[in-house]
Amino acid sequence: MAKKMKKNPIKSSKYESIRIAVDIGGTFTDGLAVLAPGGRIWVAKTLTTPRDPGEAVSTVIVDLLKQVAAGRGGAHPAVAEVVHGTTLVTNTLIERKGAKTGLVVTKGTRDVLGIGREIRYELYDLNLVIPKPLVPDALRIEVDERLDVEGGVVTALTDAEIGRLIDGIGKLGVQAVAVCLLHAYVNDTHEKKIAAAIRQRFPGLSVSISSGIAREIREYERMSTTAANAYVQPQVTEYLERLDGRVHGLAPGAPLRIMVSSGGFTSSKAAAETPILLLESGPAGGVLSAVNTARNAGIDQILAFDMGGTTAKACVVVGGEPLIAHSFECARVSRFARGSGLPILMPSIDLIEIGAGGGSIAHVNDLGLLNVGPESAGADPGPACYGQGGTGATVTDADLVLGYLNADNFLGGEMKLRKDLAVAALQKLATRLKLAPTDVAWGICNIVNENMASAARIHIAEKGHDPREFAMVATGGAGPLHVMEVARKLQIPRVLATIAAGAGSCLGLLAAPARVDRAWSNPTLVKDIDWTKVASVYADLRADAENELESAGASTTSLQWWIGVEMRYAGQGHNVSVSLPWRKIGTAMSAALLKEFERNYRKLYGHLVPNAAPQVVTWRLTGRSVVKSHQFTWGDARVSAQAVMRGKRDIWLPLKRKYAPVAVYDRYSLKPGTRISGPVILEERESTLVVPVAADVRVLPDYTVSITIKEF
Amino acid sequence: MKKTKFDPIALEIQWKRLVSMVDEASAAFVRTSFSVLVREANDFAVVLTDSQGRSIAQSVLSIPSFIGTLPATVKHFLDKFPAKTLKPGDVMITNDPWMGTGHIHDVNVAMPIFHKGKIIAFAAVVSHMPDIGGRIRNAGIRDIYEEGLQIPRLKLIEAGKPVQALLDMIGQNVRVPEQTLGDIWAQVAACKMLEERLQPLLNDINLDELGAEIRSRSEAAMRKAIKAVPDGVYHAQTRHDGFEEPILINCTVTVKGEKLAIDYTGSSLQVPRAVNVVPIYTFAYSAFAVKALLCPDVPNNEGSFMPISTSAPLGSIFNPRYPAASGGRGMIGHMMVPAIMMALADVLPERAIAEGSSNSSITVTGEHRGRPYAAVNFMNAGQGATKHREGFTMLSFPSNLSNTPIEVFEQMAPVRVIERAIRRSSGGEGRHRGGNGLRFEVEMVADTPMMASMIMTRFRTAPQGIFGGRPGKVGALRLNGKSIDPAEHWVLKKGDRVVMETAGGGGYGEPV
Repeated sequence: MAKKMKKNPIKSSKYESIRIAVDIGGTFTDGLAVLAPGGRIWVAKTLTTPRDPGEAVSTVIVDLLKQVAAGRGGAHPAVAEVVHGTTLVTNTLIERKGAKTGLVVTKGTRDVLGIGREIRYELYDLNLVIPKPLVPDALRIEVDERLDVEGGVVTALTDAEIGRLIDGIGKLGVQAVAVCLLHAYVNDTHEKKIAAAIRQRFPGLSVSISSGIAREIREYERMSTTAANAYVQPQVTEYLERLDGRVHGLAPGAPLRIMVSSGGFTSSKAAAETPILLLESGPAGGVLSAVNTARNAGIDQILAFDMGGTTAKACVVVGGEPLIAHSFECARVSRFARGSGLPILMPSIDLIEIGAGGGSIAHVNDLGLLNVGPESAGADPGPACYGQGGTGATVTDADLVLGYLNADNFLGGEMKLRKDLAVAALQKLATRLKLAPTDVAWGICNIVNENMASAARIHIAEKGHDPREFAMVATGGAGPLHVMEVARKLQIPRVLATIAAGAGSCLGLLAAPARVDRAWSNPTLVKDIDWTKVASVYADLRADAENELESAGASTTSLQWWIGVEMRYAGQGHNVSVSLPWRKIGTAMSAALLKEFERNYRKLYGHLVPNAAPQVVTWRLTGRSVVKSHQFTWGDARVSAQAVMRGKRDIWLPLKRKYAPVAVYDRYSLKPGTRISGPVILEERESTLVVPVAADVRVLPDYTVSITIKEF
Repeated sequence: MKKTKFDPIALEIQWKRLVSMVDEASAAFVRTSFSVLVREANDFAVVLTDSQGRSIAQSVLSIPSFIGTLPATVKHFLDKFPAKTLKPGDVMITNDPWMGTGHIHDVNVAMPIFHKGKIIAFAAVVSHMPDIGGRIRNAGIRDIYEEGLQIPRLKLIEAGKPVQALLDMIGQNVRVPEQTLGDIWAQVAACKMLEERLQPLLNDINLDELGAEIRSRSEAAMRKAIKAVPDGVYHAQTRHDGFEEPILINCTVTVKGEKLAIDYTGSSLQVPRAVNVVPIYTFAYSAFAVKALLCPDVPNNEGSFMPISTSAPLGSIFNPRYPAASGGRGMIGHMMVPAIMMALADVLPERAIAEGSSNSSITVTGEHRGRPYAAVNFMNAGQGATKHREGFTMLSFPSNLSNTPIEVFEQMAPVRVIERAIRRSSGGEGRHRGGNGLRFEVEMVADTPMMASMIMTRFRTAPQGIFGGRPGKVGALRLNGKSIDPAEHWVLKKGDRVVMETAGGGGYGEPV
């Protein structure tokens, strides 16, 4: 998809370099190259190649290099790095296609993985499906050893017991082994001893130990995380090794960086050791792109909003930092039901996923009311208007009938949409509901917007904020189409639409810092903390993290460090997170810790608990390279001197409750500084920004479109 | 369907907006609540009612105990404090089991919402308190006076001014006043948040009409679902281990046209133990069973439950007289669910579930290294099989309480868990087997004595199978190898080992 270029080629300077981001999604693999200095970008897209995902990565990199080279005399500057996000780990877990994995546990706990937490994720469904453990009963081995809560040895791990265990593992015929012993988060010596013995005897096996993967209290969740890591490790290791080779062939000397769930990247070597951290790399990229856009606009409180074909995602960003959650759920049996998946203890950008997308299907429920989703028509057969046999009326069909989508501009005109089929699908519902098809179309659109606004509203309340404090940033194919109405429902006055929304994750990958997180659970009352021990643990964690950051290309002289501490009053069931910039660890830190704990506690609960004893549950360390603001601009000559109005088209105006003609612009033609008044439509290749109400629309210096809503 | 001013789209959007406001207030409540049961088990509900206390929207995460309770509580408040006497800024409170939710551990709070000088709605929140005074919850408690502080229907806030005397009284009577009062204030805050979110909509939405429409549509859906069940009188009987003697649960389900009535005549008389079930709870869990069986997606409003009625003779275990104790109401109340399902098994063979059992628990308290501790571990049992699948192994039903991680339990109290294992083959045999129960073994490791209170069900009467499925294995409770009585409090010393085994679920169909 090489773009038409201007005639005068820009000379390649020896100071120039390019960085490349590639994100593998379910359907498409997206790529983006950015030239430094200047921030010009080029995009590429190809179908994902599930059998060998690296193939699509190569295709995209080749395409990008060609685009950059075109008009530069056929040569491109050196590639400084390739940042990669992938759904490989997610898919391996969802499809249960990982390695045959064994599990080593403390005597008396072999059933823990099968027992889980014993609760139902859906109260009224008598036939809910409980997820099966990744390691079946027959592949679990108990070992006679025991530690107490302080890490003291109750039952020693003898050589004879290790010998028995090794024999047992030999008989399992597994490719990977997970080791998770009780209280190993405080004392990892037994786990390390076992790992060493397994590696010595079976050098080909992947071995994951819980104290290395998720050093946190709660045996089921830690066991589940360790098992999942072991389960995906053989595939991921092989994939990354091959990909490293491919990248080396295409861009010699360019290191491969891998995006992790917490919103940073790491080296491919570190990623291969803890592949479970890759689970949410794509969604993290989308959020980082929104954060970068907001930062350029001087906004640090946003609701990042992404809407695609089947789901929408929302993430709260406060003070320019996306909120981080320390537990995550993967491979849910029921996609939108909390508790129906496998728990994973890892830091990830805290976002919610809603069953609302362009493909969401409308139906009439038990009460005779119109509902939308969460069932989706997916890409095949897709919405009725795709003309591929879909008959259910979807959000995309409604958007087309309402004039929000242009039948001739879908995917830049590559795919023609059939309005007649959309109307036919809507007509069926209209007959059933005794309403006009237009009312049903607007109803579908309005309901799906309400669903997303509701979910966002509740998520924001859970985090203790008010939606009116935020600006929204839209990404994803359908994000710019629906963002205005969702914002209006949330009473959010300001909306930003990023450049290249369709490749949003890739922009995020390029804006991401290198990042490493470490944790250590050791529940202790603050007054009883052994500061010498804490200091020595932190020294080890930091040295280890520094090594990893260095291997990820970060300069060790410009790293930022935070100490995170999960605290509570002893006896309480819920933690309060405290974060402190790095400092010397010692007794003197107590006061700062307590002060910050009490400040956060008061913010959360309104008042402190007199006479209660503050306790530390988990210590955390985050290190990352400095986050810079990245400004991007189109690499090719899309932007013309004049704003190009493509014409006018009738769209449904929700406040006027009628169709009326509004101006349609080519978004690529809008220069920074352009001002337009809503209602208006801005079309681009992968998406359409719909402003159906009175609003000030401005193009910012980084080509972000900023909208200030005038009527609610 | 009768003609109204609501079309099926406007109604859906306005109603969804209201539900989401209720859920927003409930998220804010969970975030600020101290109670572990609120956080981990959603043991609370937030409801918006119309001016007469009829429900409009209820928080989505509400557990079955709260089906229909808050609207009833608001109506009880209105009896005591007539609408015309209520002022903006009033907040009412009670934990009366007969007017609230069936035990005094749940505190109910309701606040009128005014618009143009008139009451147009009530915001109400019920929540399980971190503590309510009295003895530690145990089935052996004899009457309500032992259970803790009783709060009759009172004003907590009078025209914006907190009633300090009442707050002092509550604070003095509970073990953790900051936490209990903190949760009550969190309830008030949730009511106020709901009011604040609602105000901007009140010019556009007629709550009375909207509520009536939602209730009538919900009622129609439930009527339709009941109509699909063949008319008839269906019967089932089951037993709880009981104390001096077993407690009988006798259930008769009468389906007639679009109505379904459940009568508990023939069940045991009320007992001087904390397991009595007041009528409001009898209704809530019966309605849960019907909803889950027939129409799981209808919303939790009284329209959905209008076609369902429950009854039991006064003085019986399902309709006890004051001052019956009811802190452990769930031990008997949860058994109504499988009883109703067994009664309807013959006419709903596709959906019926064999019997399982409710949760058990161990609570330990004492002092270790000079510091007091208290910890509880819930444990669940095997559930019944159905025509289409085996019973769930150790899943919480019909309530929803998770276990405590071993590492957390050992952190909170001086215990060492020796084993948490599936009791293999404890589920009843059948074409589909019942789910397996749990074997849990724990050792006491402190030098100072430990008080232990175990709630155990089904160690004498086994969960029954259906259609020829065999019963599950009964549970057991042993201290150092000897069976002990769970209705007693036990004192443990260092090295003592307690084994708790929960029952397996009933099987479905003749074993092949």
